[in-house]
Amino acid sequence: MTRSSLYRWFRQFRRQAKPDSYGGVTVKARSIYILPTKQGLLLAVVLLAMLVGSINYGSNLGHLATFLLGGIWITTILHTWRNLLGLRLQPQHVDAVFAGESADFCLSLINPSNLDRFAITLKQKKNFGDSLDIPNNEQLPIHLPLVSKKRGLFELPQITLHTTYPLGLFHAWTYAEIDLSCLVYPKPAERGDPPVTESYTKSSSGDRGVGSDDFVGLRTFRTGDSPKQIDWKAYARQQGLMSKQFGGDRHLEITLDWDLIPEQEPERRLSLLCRFILQQEELRHAYAMKIPGLSIASGLGSGHMQKCLSALALYGIADADR
Amino acid sequence: MQIADHTLTARQHLLVSLCAGLAIAPHTLHVPLPISLFLIFLFVWRLTALRYPQFQPGRWLLVLTTLGGVILTFSQYHTLIGRDAGVGLLTVMMMLKILEVRRRQDLYVAVFISYFVIITHFLFDQSMVMALYLFSVMVCLTALLIEINRIKPSATTLEPFVRTGIITLQAIPIAIVLFVIFPRLSQPLWNLGIGSSGTTGLSDRMTPGQIAELIESPEVAFRVSFDTEAPAAEQRYWRGLVIWDTDGHSWFNRKDQVRERHMQLKAHGEHSYEVFLEAHQQRWLYALDIPVSSKQRFRLSQDLILQRREPVRRSLTYQVRSTTEQQNKVVMPGMLQRALELPDNVTQRQFELVEGWRANAKSPREIVELALSHFNKQPFVYTLTPPRYLDNPIDQFLFDAQEGFCEHYATSFTQLMRIAGIPTRLVLGYQGGEYNELGDYFIIRQYDAHAWTEVWLEESGWLRVDPTAAVAPERIRFQLRNDFGTEGSPAMFQLDELGLVGSSLRRFAHMLDNANIQWRRWIIGYSREHQFSLMRNFGFDTLTPLQWSLITIGLIAIPLMLVALRLVLSGRKQPLPEIIAYERFCKKLARLGISRKTYEGPMDYAKRAIGERPDLTAPISRITALYIKLRYGPNADKSQSKKLLQQVRQFRPGRQKPGT
Repeated sequence: MTRSSLYRWFRQFRRQAKPDSYGGVTVKARSIYILPTKQGLLLAVVLLAMLVGSINYGSNLGHLATFLLGGIWITTILHTWRNLLGLRLQPQHVDAVFAGESADFCLSLINPSNLDRFAITLKQKKNFGDSLDIPNNEQLPIHLPLVSKKRGLFELPQITLHTTYPLGLFHAWTYAEIDLSCLVYPKPAERGDPPVTESYTKSSSGDRGVGSDDFVGLRTFRTGDSPKQIDWKAYARQQGLMSKQFGGDRHLEITLDWDLIPEQEPERRLSLLCRFILQQEELRHAYAMKIPGLSIASGLGSGHMQKCLSALALYGIADADR
Repeated sequence: MQIADHTLTARQHLLVSLCAGLAIAPHTLHVPLPISLFLIFLFVWRLTALRYPQFQPGRWLLVLTTLGGVILTFSQYHTLIGRDAGVGLLTVMMMLKILEVRRRQDLYVAVFISYFVIITHFLFDQSMVMALYLFSVMVCLTALLIEINRIKPSATTLEPFVRTGIITLQAIPIAIVLFVIFPRLSQPLWNLGIGSSGTTGLSDRMTPGQIAELIESPEVAFRVSFDTEAPAAEQRYWRGLVIWDTDGHSWFNRKDQVRERHMQLKAHGEHSYEVFLEAHQQRWLYALDIPVSSKQRFRLSQDLILQRREPVRRSLTYQVRSTTEQQNKVVMPGMLQRALELPDNVTQRQFELVEGWRANAKSPREIVELALSHFNKQPFVYTLTPPRYLDNPIDQFLFDAQEGFCEHYATSFTQLMRIAGIPTRLVLGYQGGEYNELGDYFIIRQYDAHAWTEVWLEESGWLRVDPTAAVAPERIRFQLRNDFGTEGSPAMFQLDELGLVGSSLRRFAHMLDNANIQWRRWIIGYSREHQFSLMRNFGFDTLTPLQWSLITIGLIAIPLMLVALRLVLSGRKQPLPEIIAYERFCKKLARLGISRKTYEGPMDYAKRAIGERPDLTAPISRITALYIKLRYGPNADKSQSKKLLQQVRQFRPGRQKPGT
């Protein structure tokens, strides 16, 4: 039996806390595992040596000191166990990331009891998150950064809440499944010029207020106008807030189109589209997007970008996983 | 299963060095001076390196220092094993470990070695004060572990100590169970050659002037607790050993003359008592006057000396029965001849002195009386600081200086009696003792050391004769005062004329000594015999090892369960009384089939309940209104919650709607 198959075999017995209706987990008495740490084993060996020494020299005080430390060793099991018992983990939020970036899962750690808890660490396999002390009846944010591998929905894997408090002799942990997933956008490809379908609409009035080439006039300020557009001189003349409007004599409409991408591999196409969206946002040029089964009308700004990127992230997997 | 490796703060580095320093400190007193100095040097080096990191030794320097430490230890002890050398090596290695603590891992190792070093102190000093000190150090070390295991440092210095205190208190029942139950061996696992330490006390070779030296020591020789009524001070002769032979200077027992025949007197002794003997590195044990039996099966030699096979290297507790009145007629072949042997340096004037008594006496008993009255009438001085008699101690004492201490009187009396043809032997031991009212026992100190004689008289057997009593009867009835005058000044006696301050001081001293004896009796002196008799009381002595282990586990599990229960309960929140009352109310309604939905507020719930049971409108709305007022109302009157509870209690709805 290999190590990993042994691990899988063991896994079927392990107790783990399932998320409740709020998506969080409360640590129950029976879901806590506890084993001695390296330090705990070392102390056990030292205690054994102390016992042998005490027996050999017939030292009653030596016996007493050894047994007292032994008692502390055993009692610590309960304290470590108690340090975890009753804690609650609740999902908070996680910001979307590009594939390959670290997703910062933010949960809240709640201590609903009257006991202070110390050195509670959140981790997932070898990835360590925050360690923190949490006073009684408090709620603190706790972060676990995990590297996202591929685009799509990155569900928070099974995590471990662990502690070695008070003496570091025992290691108590519990497995928890939390309902929290991170949207992972495709990894942006290298920079390049987007192959676009350009449609020009020539008009005498140009594209009033949409382009950015020539000054075409003023209009009253509307909420949402950029401060760069505001005619501060007019404002200084006490004419009220006026927005400057720019426009060209032709309107260039860019559509980022799946079908126009020369590469065939879908993931590669998604990466390129992702990069183009970022470039358009940088240039502040409006863009529309067309991918199989979905077309998004022209627009600009973070809301529009998120809409497009989410569509890319979930392309082809959205229906299957949702 | 690893601990995230937080680095240690400068403060934690300092604390671990200080704690380890405290743990090791008492050893600097009994390791050889060069090692002590080396330890202090390492400690100062560590503190300096913490302040100025450029002094932190590199890897090679550490290896060299370690090597130096080992060589130093070896040069001092000429070995690296055994108790003393082992402790020397351990202290040196521990200090070196302290010097190189960098990571958390090192700190753990340092703390664990400190724990080990703590128990090695008990090989040298088992006093209560030392135990308290080491216990405090242990608490400090544990508190340090707690401190490094939290993320943010404690708000107050006291906090980690409080937490350690809680854990330690919870561990104490387990420690006590294990201490009482864990089997004790009467033999060590292997012999590590426990070295003898230079304890003061009587030795088996006595040269006049030796006891006078002991007199300066207030060290406790042994303590005695009587089960029966204690004999009067002048009867409290604590017999140690009997000395037969002399070369004219010293008194001793010739190896070839010692007859290792032992006997067991089965007589009934009227005094039953327990002796708490300090280690004195000798095989003989002290007992009152004529020991007759002992629980511990010690051997009783023909001259009535209680003996053990092994020298007393650790303090020892034993029970003896003795008599002070029984006639002692034990006599072995050759015994009387031995008690008549004279050294070569008996002088003519000694013979003449004895001849004079012989001429006037009709019986040996009268000769004894004449000799005693000689000591009494002649200007003999009883002094703690007698001159040194170098040539012929007995002769010089008897005729020239006539100044002496008990051993001078006893030895010269023995010799004079032997000249007169009366078999006489010398007895060494202690006399008297100080009574401790608090603990109801006697403390016998080194300055109570005494020498007296026993003469053989045909009609009465061996008879105790104390020539010192003839010169200074106060010596026997009262304590010697423990201050020493100039050479030759007469000894002073401590009479019960102390003022209030003096008596309360003595009371305090007795209290301390009583605590000490209890400590000795129950902690240090706890032995295999105690264990067996305790087990017999509980009927546990017939158990198999398996049953035995199960009982031990059970006895440990009980306190652990209690701790677990306490831990779980202590963190639980006590709900507010109005919530308890309201929940009970909801439960009563639920029994009628109207259970509260999770989304329902109290008002909605009440509305629904009234809709289903209009007959209960009044109590439901009353209870709900009161609950809302208590729970959500401003400045809710807390005394009202009792009223709510009462109303809920009185709310006893019938199962059926009336009329249906």
